[in-house]
Amino acid sequence: MTKNEPCDVLIIGAGATGSLAATVLARAGLDVLCLEQGDWVEPGDHPHYSADWTWQRRTNWNSDVNKRHHPDDYPVVSDSSQVLMWNGVGGSTNVYGAIWPRYRPSDFRKQDEHGLQPNWPIAYEDVAPFYEAADRMIGVSGLAGDTAMPPREKPPTRPLPFTRAAGRLAQAFDKLDWHWWPAEAGVISENYDGRPACNGCGICNGCPRGSMSKYSLSIWPKALAAGARLRTHARVLRIEKGLDGRATGALFLDRNTGITEFQPARLVIVAANGVGTPRLLLASDNLANQSDQVGRNLLHHTLVSSEMWVEESIDSHMGYVASLISREFAETDTSRGFVNGFNFNCLTSTSSAGEVAAGWITETKAPWGRDHHRWFERHFGHCIGIHAIGDDLPNPENRVSLDPSITDKDGIPVAWLHYQPGENDKRMMNYMLDRLVDIAEAAGAFEYKLQDYRDKDGVYRTPAWHMIGTCRMGGDPETSVVNKWNQSWDVPNLFIVDGSVLATGGVVNPTPTISALALRAATYIRDNFRELSGTTRSAAA
Amino acid sequence: MTVDAILFPSADAPPNGNAKPAPAEAAALLADFVEVLIPGEGDWPSAATVGVQAMLATRLFEDLGRGHFARLATAIIAAGGPFAGRSEEERVAIVQRFEATEPALFGWVRDAAYIAYYENPFVGAVINAQGHPYDVRPHLKGYPLAPFDVERQTPRHGRGHFIATADVRRVDTSTLDLETERTQAWGLKR
Repeated sequence: MTKNEPCDVLIIGAGATGSLAATVLARAGLDVLCLEQGDWVEPGDHPHYSADWTWQRRTNWNSDVNKRHHPDDYPVVSDSSQVLMWNGVGGSTNVYGAIWPRYRPSDFRKQDEHGLQPNWPIAYEDVAPFYEAADRMIGVSGLAGDTAMPPREKPPTRPLPFTRAAGRLAQAFDKLDWHWWPAEAGVISENYDGRPACNGCGICNGCPRGSMSKYSLSIWPKALAAGARLRTHARVLRIEKGLDGRATGALFLDRNTGITEFQPARLVIVAANGVGTPRLLLASDNLANQSDQVGRNLLHHTLVSSEMWVEESIDSHMGYVASLISREFAETDTSRGFVNGFNFNCLTSTSSAGEVAAGWITETKAPWGRDHHRWFERHFGHCIGIHAIGDDLPNPENRVSLDPSITDKDGIPVAWLHYQPGENDKRMMNYMLDRLVDIAEAAGAFEYKLQDYRDKDGVYRTPAWHMIGTCRMGGDPETSVVNKWNQSWDVPNLFIVDGSVLATGGVVNPTPTISALALRAATYIRDNFRELSGTTRSAAA
Repeated sequence: MTVDAILFPSADAPPNGNAKPAPAEAAALLADFVEVLIPGEGDWPSAATVGVQAMLATRLFEDLGRGHFARLATAIIAAGGPFAGRSEEERVAIVQRFEATEPALFGWVRDAAYIAYYENPFVGAVINAQGHPYDVRPHLKGYPLAPFDVERQTPRHGRGHFIATADVRRVDTSTLDLETERTQAWGLKR
């Protein structure tokens, strides 16, 4: 084993949050090293430039780790969810869709509201400045002035083009007297920060242009320019802890040389996502887990979807994948029969003619044979997709755990993932499906199809982009893993900055909030590094 | 390598004693099959005309493995194939039997054939001719869309509210019976 020179800050994982933390801390003059098990994903590696991009995103570029066969991945066995992530520089921003809504104030106060979820130890107002800072760093588009949300600064770029699908949906929502607003996106509508504006191609599974913020193009250049070091193909095997209770560094495998190295550090930041982080902590002799909450309370959001087809040709294959967001049902209204709320993430359509025929989010397929082209002509350019995404209640048995006997080829136990929606979640999804029907009818769709993501055996197999809650933030060391500064209650120089810290899921895609929280935590570390590099006690709640 | 080894590598024997198509016949079998899936019509070329069978064969080998190519040939032959010399009605009946007896394999092959077909630039040209600005490689140039017009397109409906942090109040959950009632029928099975 090789022992390296110590660094100030060791970051494990080069995804969205690792890159933001590296930028803040390197700019402060700290010696920052990031270890990433995967590789850089160069623009030319993406399937976007190939005619077979549709096929590639079902196979070697599939977002599901269990449907592609990539050497940078690690095994995740799930009895339910489709496990969507990317292991490499930029993390899952290499394949995500970058819909960019924020949490609401009530998302931080669910214990007060109904008692079935915890309060966060921080409020919306604590995060708000970091939303703005993150948006400026990352480059986003949107429109201020939505009365369904707290006031915000004008986004760095205006909303993306208002597509004909958006216009059709806006009419439907107006008819229903429901809220709608142009979608916020982690995509720039104008040239920004040296990156080109979105060209509306519609292949919104990552973006090699960098118009959609792929953090390896938007953030990592900033971190590297500030002096942060990044080692790829460096798979962390475990985090070590000293007798004083502090993390001493991490043991990692250089996947290129096969040599195991130890990297000492004064402070360790884990940024390995909602599956990778609990897996690593559990595999490190149950590190930071006196609460027994590491890996528990996995949240994915409640998710059901629809596709509708309208008579008018709207060429919905063009433009950014999201069109509108509706926050009509975002707050709790118990008269609906459940607590918490949901949003509609309204889409355009798939940009692939092949997916129109072979099935998109509802798996609606063209018939084969003589009717094929008639069906295609009627459906292509006429489709609108919608996701309804809601706040699921935590369940400690929904969790990431370790296989007791099976390890991967590097000796790390295989991760197990279990998720099952609860009673409140099921009621919410029923309600969401009924409202999706309302939208289709208000839009005058000649056909619509719903998707509940249940397989033939009734198992809910949600596309789990959102893997959050597994090291949740809280005000009590007995029921949470990190405090309000993302600091481990148990290991004072260990910070967790990825989505696993989210105590509630909100009704939105989490990357904006995860990014804002990572910036906030990194700022705290920067401002308190001297104390944090020696203390043996975590800050109080 | 023998034809049997290509077509039936994982089987002790072909699915029926007489079915031993040569490679050229196997290629024809696949071409005839995709022709039934997506026949030509009007300006639309058939799947076989644009070579879907070649892409399908490659993807079968790459993604499912050699044995699945044999499974496909076996399934078509078991369903009454090959197609040569059969009427359209008979060809359709063969594919219907294949779909009914091997739904998973059929579904994979149908989807792969559809995707291969619509990746083809000749097919893209037909979509264009129908008035859609479709590009089989849209990322290269993107699609021209008018920028968002803040003056004209900002919503004016005034709908929407949020509960501020200080205004969050306890809601009454006593009537929900979340602990005692169980929703048995949910999702699409209601």
